[in-house]
Amino acid sequence: MSESVIETTSHQTGETLLDVQDLKTYYEGGGLLGGDPVKAVDGVNFEISRGETFGLVGESGCGKTTLGRTLIQLETATSGTVSFDGTDITELSGDDLKEWRRNAQMVFQDPESSLNDRMTVGEIIREPLDVHDQGTASERREKVRTLLDQVGLMPEHYYRYPHQFSGGQRQRIGIARALALEPEFVVLDEPVSALDVSVQAQILNLLEDLQEEFGLTYLFIAHDLSVVRHICDRVGVMYLGNLMEVGPTEQLFQNPENPYTRALLSAIPEPDPTAQVDRITLPGSPPSPRDPPEGCPFATRCPVRIRPEDIEASDEVWDRIREFRDVIRERSRAEQSIGERLKERLGFDTALADSEEIVDEEFSDVDLPSDVRGHVEQAAAYLSDGEPDAARAYLREVFGSQCDTETPQYYDVGDRRMSFCHRHAQEHVSPGDELRQRGYDTHDG
Amino acid sequence: MMGTETELTDDIDQPLRDRLKAHPKPALLWGIGLCVLLLLEGPTYLDGLLGAIGYGLGVLPGAPGAEAFASASAFFGELPHLLSRELIPNRGYYDGSSWQGTFLGLEPKYAWLIRFLLVYVYVAVLLGWLWYGYVLFRRHYRAADWTPTDDVIDRLRSHYWGLFGLAVVVFFITMAVFAPVVGPTTAEENIQGPYSHEMQYFNEDTETVETITIGEANLGSASRGSGDSNVGIWSYDDFGRFHPVGTLVSGKDLFTFLAFGARVSLFIGLGSMAIAGFIATTLALVTAYYKGVTDLIVVLTSDSVQAMPALLLVILATVVFKNHWIAEIYNGAMLFILLFALIRWPGLWRAVRGPALQVGEQEWVDAAKSYGQRPTVIMRKHMAPYILGYLLVYASLTLGGVIISVSALSFLGLGITAPTPEWGRAINIGQQYIASQSWHISLIPGILITLVVTGFNALSDGIRDAIDPQSEGAEGGATGAAAGGGGG
Ligand code: SF4
Repeated sequence: MSESVIETTSHQTGETLLDVQDLKTYYEGGGLLGGDPVKAVDGVNFEISRGETFGLVGESGCGKTTLGRTLIQLETATSGTVSFDGTDITELSGDDLKEWRRNAQMVFQDPESSLNDRMTVGEIIREPLDVHDQGTASERREKVRTLLDQVGLMPEHYYRYPHQFSGGQRQRIGIARALALEPEFVVLDEPVSALDVSVQAQILNLLEDLQEEFGLTYLFIAHDLSVVRHICDRVGVMYLGNLMEVGPTEQLFQNPENPYTRALLSAIPEPDPTAQVDRITLPGSPPSPRDPPEGCPFATRCPVRIRPEDIEASDEVWDRIREFRDVIRERSRAEQSIGERLKERLGFDTALADSEEIVDEEFSDVDLPSDVRGHVEQAAAYLSDGEPDAARAYLREVFGSQCDTETPQYYDVGDRRMSFCHRHAQEHVSPGDELRQRGYDTHDG
Repeated sequence: MMGTETELTDDIDQPLRDRLKAHPKPALLWGIGLCVLLLLEGPTYLDGLLGAIGYGLGVLPGAPGAEAFASASAFFGELPHLLSRELIPNRGYYDGSSWQGTFLGLEPKYAWLIRFLLVYVYVAVLLGWLWYGYVLFRRHYRAADWTPTDDVIDRLRSHYWGLFGLAVVVFFITMAVFAPVVGPTTAEENIQGPYSHEMQYFNEDTETVETITIGEANLGSASRGSGDSNVGIWSYDDFGRFHPVGTLVSGKDLFTFLAFGARVSLFIGLGSMAIAGFIATTLALVTAYYKGVTDLIVVLTSDSVQAMPALLLVILATVVFKNHWIAEIYNGAMLFILLFALIRWPGLWRAVRGPALQVGEQEWVDAAKSYGQRPTVIMRKHMAPYILGYLLVYASLTLGGVIISVSALSFLGLGITAPTPEWGRAINIGQQYIASQSWHISLIPGILITLVVTGFNALSDGIRDAIDPQSEGAEGGATGAAAGGGGG
């Protein structure tokens, strides 16, 4: 599927610079006992063409920064490949890796933290040149002065310290440092999010100018969608370590396909405040990346999740079931505290007391179809027995669908676009139609 | 602080040289001034340096070259210099009408006072000159017109409690460095070999000038609390010798004892803190950079070190190493340096671990990794400067504790062995006379220890507030600790 994308990519040069295949980056669980690893990036595929700006958006914690850091080898990939100009950089080490590093640099998010305050601006920008032994000392100093000029600072700023600069200027220094080695690829990690709005535009313009001048390829990580729309050629939407949708910016913004993209975009305020829209507000919070849902990562919150055919229930009941499953899910996640364990040993009821309460709270004011009630009570029984895991598994069994069990694949959804959702398959109603059916407003009307 | 200084110069050495060439006058004048100041006391410095090297070599098996250094040191020791007893002698005898042998025929007390004050004036001028040099550098030669260090220094300059601490510490260090000149007599004559040196005094009964060994004279100048056997503060003994803070039970001069005792305390304190600080910094940087298992190993190690009963360990070690060559160096001072370094590094490590972890999270560290900077350089250049300040703060706090511990051990008779002077031993010796007229034997060293420990604490407060202005206002705690610690 991705091959078809390669052939058609980029209006600029059409050549793939970076090809990411099934990339995973896990952090080992902290502490002695290890625990589950944090699945920050959990299998993503995409390419970036030479000269383009690829945007990466998503809520905080979705793994976009980790993905960016993995692409420049600041994090070690757990599996998968990142091929840069044909070389798999996840395999590089030692001198080869150091040599490669000059090709890919990063501009960091926080200009307060990205510059060492104890060094002069000149030393900061010069350090990459020193590390890679470029030219003589005076040539390097000259190069730094040129860079200062290129990012809109003065050569005499060489001997100043970062403290003496504003946020925007500090970010310019960071950009100069990233460009010192003349890289081809630059990861921009929310480069303007810490800046004043008035300064943001200047920095974005600078980045665009530099891209043109040096033929740079950008990976632009952001949570501000309007900035992404402004600067990116293509966008990838990330959720819980997965790329949910990839496509050219304008098309993706105007006509989102994936349910998550739709939800994300519906959070942008409408230009027309009088327009009555029913925004898609996502229930609950994203699950822990230590314990992502099986099947589709978005399944716990998806407004159009596929429902099992054998259960008839109203939207409201399904809502309650989802909430109930969330609660059980958290229950099974939570480690028992020592106090609780002790209580249990001593014969106090720990689980029983509240399992009925939970059911009550969720379902007391709705009419449950009898089969649903039966399932809920069965789960509550597991919970009272102190087996939240069994309750969770049971609920998945009876209320789950393809979304809970099978990882979706990437479906081709139009011009160089891919979406990660079962609903694009022939046999299902498409996400947009289903949304309308369930009473949400959709962008594509 | 120092980190920035060196980085600055080594990065832009070319421009600095150019700047010096372009405008050499202030630097030249300053350099000449410094040379003059150093030359005035040059022989002392060379004597001390070569002597220390010779002593160090002498400890090694076979003592290679120790002789040569010792004789070179002796040669410089003979050369005339400003702060010397030869130039301003304070010992002489009263021949019935005037003082013989003292500086300008003054009373010994004034002669000594002049020399004592001259030492401090010299040190003050020297430090002032160095400060002036820094100001000149800042004004004429530094490429940057502002550095973060400037703010730190400015804050320290207006921190009076910290400056008080600095003054006390300088006073104490000067006393230690110039111990042979500040005392009214020398350790050699008065403490180590009293019976191999002689002196002249005026015998009032016979009205003649007689010669006596110092040892015998000391018998007559003992402070024993009862009867007329006491030489108290600011007084002369029967042999016309002046004792600024009285004498010991043995009749030896207490001030001289204290001055040399300052040397030992300072040597142990600075030595152990240098080693412990080095270990702590290295480990903090490595654990903050690599985290994970490395961190865990160090946590476990430091916990087990801290779990050992420190005092018992030290006592045990002093017994075990009693006849070992390490214990011979400087009458056991070297052993104490190693022991206190071993015991105190976990505390320092814990103190700098937090800042190290914090700075390890900074994006500039990632940036350095992203262009392939070596880990060792990242730790040294991008992390170390941020924790050195904290290290200084805690090291100077801990240093006070080390001084107290050493004194406490000496007080128990386990510390630095005689004849090397140690304050704790003086407290021990004088303990039984504390209620008598010879109270000075215990009290003066006790006050000095309190003062010095307070000084180091005050200095550490000052540094902390200077590097981290948010943390101001924790003075009370430190002073309280110092006062509490002074009892040892
Ligand atoms: S696969 Fe299912 S849960 Fe995931 S986005 Fe599509 S409909 Fe929603």
